[in-house]
Amino acid sequence: MSSDLNLILAKATIEALIFASSEPITSKTVAEIIGIDEHTVKQIISDLIEDYRRSKRGIQIIEAGNGYQFATHPECAVYIEKLQKIPRNVGLSQAAVETLAIIAYKQPITKAEIESLRGVSVESPLGTLLEKNLIEEAGRKDAPGRPILYRTTTKFLRYFGLNSLEDLPRIPEWTGNDEIVLESQEMEAEAND
Amino acid sequence: MDYQVKLDIFQGPLDLLLHLIEKDEIDIYNIPIAIITDKYLEYLSTIQQLNLEVAGEFLVMAATLMQIKAKMLLPEANASGETDDETDADEDPRWELVCKLIEYKRIKEAARSLQEIEQEQLKIYFRTAGEFPDQTYAVQDDNLKNLTVWDLMDAFRVVLESLEVKLLKSAIPKPQISIRQRMQEIEALVLREKQVSFKRVFADVDTKIDLITCFLAVLELIRLHKILAYQPVLFGDIYLSTKEDEEKVCHPI
Repeated sequence: MSSDLNLILAKATIEALIFASSEPITSKTVAEIIGIDEHTVKQIISDLIEDYRRSKRGIQIIEAGNGYQFATHPECAVYIEKLQKIPRNVGLSQAAVETLAIIAYKQPITKAEIESLRGVSVESPLGTLLEKNLIEEAGRKDAPGRPILYRTTTKFLRYFGLNSLEDLPRIPEWTGNDEIVLESQEMEAEAND
Repeated sequence: MDYQVKLDIFQGPLDLLLHLIEKDEIDIYNIPIAIITDKYLEYLSTIQQLNLEVAGEFLVMAATLMQIKAKMLLPEANASGETDDETDADEDPRWELVCKLIEYKRIKEAARSLQEIEQEQLKIYFRTAGEFPDQTYAVQDDNLKNLTVWDLMDAFRVVLESLEVKLLKSAIPKPQISIRQRMQEIEALVLREKQVSFKRVFADVDTKIDLITCFLAVLELIRLHKILAYQPVLFGDIYLSTKEDEEKVCHPI
């Protein structure tokens, strides 16, 4: 009985913590605050997530980039936009998304490498992405001029609702390192000679 | 009233080449380089007619295309008669460009799937709101629905060609209308009629400068999210409508 009561209390507390946190909260932080093990915390949270889902509520708990947070249900979006009276967030520009896609799939990568793939300057989209903290510097490449390398951030994962880079949509025939594919084609061509 | 339309809406020379290849359903591995070069140059001149500054990258690509074209016209340099079937990938002057195009196509696919996820995510609001408050000025591809800027350019070129005939008839020059005025007119027209065909917007236009003003006004309205352009039927007419109208269609209450 008392352990049931404890469980109910823990569940309520965790719900309150996720609600009150100004940033997505990790299961580790929750575990530290209420003093129970992280595994149990994760179980309770997935219970909570299921509760909201089952009762078809207008809010839900979302897990992305290793954090939990409260969010509205996507089906309510149209009405929330009416409430906010601001134009719907339209998302990133085409240039920014293309640049971000290159970085996400090919990281770490330099600006010159991105530009060679896109065929145009990425000065402006790169600045936008850095400003939004969707990408960050990841040291320098061991090459002439030691150019800056870029990679995606945790915020990138959260923005797209992903838990890790493994969750990125798979691109057909894109192994992540295209040189290998091209090289093997060339080798085949040579072998045919 | 001088408007500077940012060239960012054109994603670059590779984007344009892909558009040309996909439009004519050309095999990417066997590009008819002479035809593509001509079409590419035609587009550049249209961009210039719109008074848009052609970015350096577009000119570099034009040079590359012409270089490839020249190489393909040259007889094989090492015609020492060793092997006749020496047409492997390394020999084809188009190969490097083809690789770039294929890679760029994949990037576009990757970007498209990221955008799909993003659009779903944007329907979710968080308690800690205001993550990306500075979105208003981002160029809006959502407003173009299933269209690209190149499709709009195609439509514009059709109007431009039909104007050549009309130009001969008109004798008395009308006072020139500014882009701002045009924007107001077009917005009012779209609001009144809910759905207006792209051609209709240019109906009473009979000078080239007016035509360009009109096209830039449409682009600017799309950019400012005032109107939406879409193509209900593949290769069909392009229509303009108001944003609110489209929402109702998407989310019936």
